[in-house]
Amino acid sequence: MIKNVLTHVGGVENFGIISILLFFGVFAGALIYAACLKKPFLNQMSQLPLEDGTKKTEASHE
Amino acid sequence: MNLETFKYDNRIVRAFAIATIIWGIVGMSAGLLAAVQLFWPEANLNLQFVSFGRLRPLHTNAVIFAFVGNGMFMGIYYSLQRLCKARMFNDKLSWINFWGWNAIIVAAAVTLPLGLTTSKEYAELEWPIDIAIAIVWVVFTVNLMGTILRRREKHMYVAIWFFIATALTVAMLHIVNSLAVPASAFKSYPIYAGVQDALVQWWYGHNAVAFFLTTPYLGLMYYFLPKAAGRPVFSYRLSIIHFWALIFIYIWAGPHHLLFTALPDWAQSLGMVFSIMLIAPSWGGMLNGLLTLRGAWDKVREEPMLKFMVVALTAYGMATLEGPLLSIKSVNSLSHYTDWTVAHVHTGALGWNGFLTFSMLYWLFPRLYNTPLWSKKLANWHFWISLTGMMFYVIPMYWSGITQGLMWKQFTPEGFLKYANFLETVIQLIPMFVLRAVGGLLYILGTFLMAYNLWKTAKSGVFVPEVEAQAAPRNSGHDLHAEQDPWKHRWLEAKPITLTVLSLVAVAIGGLVEIVPMYLIKENVPTLSSVKPYTPLEVLGRDIYIREGCVGCHSQMIRPFRSETERYGEYSKAGEFVYDHPFLWGSKRTGPDLHRVGAKYPDAWHYNHMDDPRLTSPGSIMPRYSWLLEQKMDKKSLPARIAALRKVGVPYPAGYENSEALKDLEKQAETIVTNLKVGSVEAQPDKEIIAMIAYLQRLGTDIKAQAVAAPVNTSN
Ligand code: HEC
Repeated sequence: MIKNVLTHVGGVENFGIISILLFFGVFAGALIYAACLKKPFLNQMSQLPLEDGTKKTEASHE
Repeated sequence: MNLETFKYDNRIVRAFAIATIIWGIVGMSAGLLAAVQLFWPEANLNLQFVSFGRLRPLHTNAVIFAFVGNGMFMGIYYSLQRLCKARMFNDKLSWINFWGWNAIIVAAAVTLPLGLTTSKEYAELEWPIDIAIAIVWVVFTVNLMGTILRRREKHMYVAIWFFIATALTVAMLHIVNSLAVPASAFKSYPIYAGVQDALVQWWYGHNAVAFFLTTPYLGLMYYFLPKAAGRPVFSYRLSIIHFWALIFIYIWAGPHHLLFTALPDWAQSLGMVFSIMLIAPSWGGMLNGLLTLRGAWDKVREEPMLKFMVVALTAYGMATLEGPLLSIKSVNSLSHYTDWTVAHVHTGALGWNGFLTFSMLYWLFPRLYNTPLWSKKLANWHFWISLTGMMFYVIPMYWSGITQGLMWKQFTPEGFLKYANFLETVIQLIPMFVLRAVGGLLYILGTFLMAYNLWKTAKSGVFVPEVEAQAAPRNSGHDLHAEQDPWKHRWLEAKPITLTVLSLVAVAIGGLVEIVPMYLIKENVPTLSSVKPYTPLEVLGRDIYIREGCVGCHSQMIRPFRSETERYGEYSKAGEFVYDHPFLWGSKRTGPDLHRVGAKYPDAWHYNHMDDPRLTSPGSIMPRYSWLLEQKMDKKSLPARIAALRKVGVPYPAGYENSEALKDLEKQAETIVTNLKVGSVEAQPDKEIIAMIAYLQRLGTDIKAQAVAAPVNTSN
């Protein structure tokens, strides 16, 4: 389309590649992080919304 | 083990809950009125304050920032305290957050109908309100972070991560996109022009969807869904991946709002690729939510709150599948500027945000008032009525969008546009507009049922202003897992500051990669020598165009397709917009593109058309703008406008506003008055319509230099 725009800006062609690489870095990081979490810890974490330190007066309404 | 006793603050949650319901009804009603005007233009009673262009931003701002905004604060103030096992950091800040936010909404509800708008979508509020937003947002962020730092629970549940990302990113987006130079108390010009303004605006606009409508609500989903289902989230691991992938990718996707425009190709492609990648984390999140309910579907049948939640998640899944689809260039070439986008948005707004908000409200009220929900049956009615309403909204809008997209592109065998008259394509859609309004009405009816039900619930119970809770202080060292495995201390879950910094880096990278080249673009947009700054009269006209929200129906960006160049003329070039503060490319074509409307009609045609579009274009759904024929243009403000425009980079000569500007304005106005006489229209030169005509006749004419009498030259 507007080929005259930006094609001559140094390095801009690489922005796409760099961006995708960055993403895969972050994604891999998150995967590794998540994979390293241990079962008891995961259980403890996922229980957090269910226990809030109240005397169970709150959660009991149906 | 020494336990501390403390109290959760329910008052602030109730305040936000009530505001959510009230603003929900207000915002949806504004939407309904706007919808009705699209098949019955007289429904604005010819009042400028509620004409479509001013009403549309009122509707979008009300549902986004007032309804969902208060809903988000409601959910966060409830869940954050309980997840942190701590009261909010500071009650005063909580109330400043509440009253400040709602005062801003009231200010919006006053200024937008008055036409005080920047015209940038979802960032329409003018600069003093923008500053107030920034302050209130900082108050919220301090309260949020303070609570987190004072928490008793060592680990931060994933919901809190989403809240942190929301607070940071919204602040960043809001500030960068709102940078402007004021010309008066309620008028400013953005420091960006044309292509850059478009890029910044959609970097903001898209991420307002991402970080205002999505991430906080995902956090709330991760809290309220397990809570209501009485079981932990399906996969905590998945929620972590969901979080990082989502916040990292989302920030890049903005340019998919600008495909085929004058935005450089590489930026468009980047936006497209990242948008498609978004499917993965979004669906991961949706499945994580739905799978949390596995084996608990009997509960879903019985508990209206869970029904709403299931639809919300499904709508999230549909919207996040469709979004990437719409970012594919070939699909976008059909869908863009049509009601398809409107359908897409409402799947998200009505389904995801609306239903999740309803779900939280149904869950919270019985707990805030310590009593069962007044009527489950009524809640079920609400569910079915609003679900039906949503279908009646969304399906006709798809139909309308696809129909219009196809009609725009249709050629006869002889190679002419089949529907050369744009209005034909509009009239075709009117039955769909009617159905859509019916859908909206049903949805609002459902909301009223909820309001009644919750009011009755409140009446039948007693408000619990504070809830007592007990927990061990954070540093008591009783954490079993930490003792078993001290290594765990290093996990991010226990490190709010590290987590905050990492989230900021994740969202800032996307921002930088898009914004740095934006500055490069600035140097590289080929300046077309024939493109000149607007004349003083055109400046006033353009500002009226902004005030009236014409951009809500008209684009000014012709894409490089034969179907568009045939209909409108030469496609739009980046260099044509270098003096456009703000850009007015628009996002929806309820009316035709106006970028090349200059010199298309005689001045008198515009005069009559603006007075009553149905005079010149029978069947048109454009509002009347007869007040422009009566109101005097604001010449007094001209010097301030020109000076502010010079500050943002428009090369008016120094001192121009103090001497020549007004004379140039009057000279050009006289020419138009003379032209109007030829068309047997008597008009005075100081009326707003004259400025509007000047602006419309200038549009897109610079590059066809010979086609027009040379515009008044201001730069020499
Ligand atoms: C509700 C949507 C809507 C709004 C708001 C709106 N228009 Fe329109 N406009 C239309 C429609 C539909 C048409 C096509 C039918 C017609 O000519 O009236 C149109 C046509 C036009 C045309 C003729 C374009 C052509 O090429 O024939 C102009 C000029 C125009 N509008 C200017 C404006 C201006 C200026 C404003 C703001 C003051 C405005 N419109 C606001 C819907 C709208």
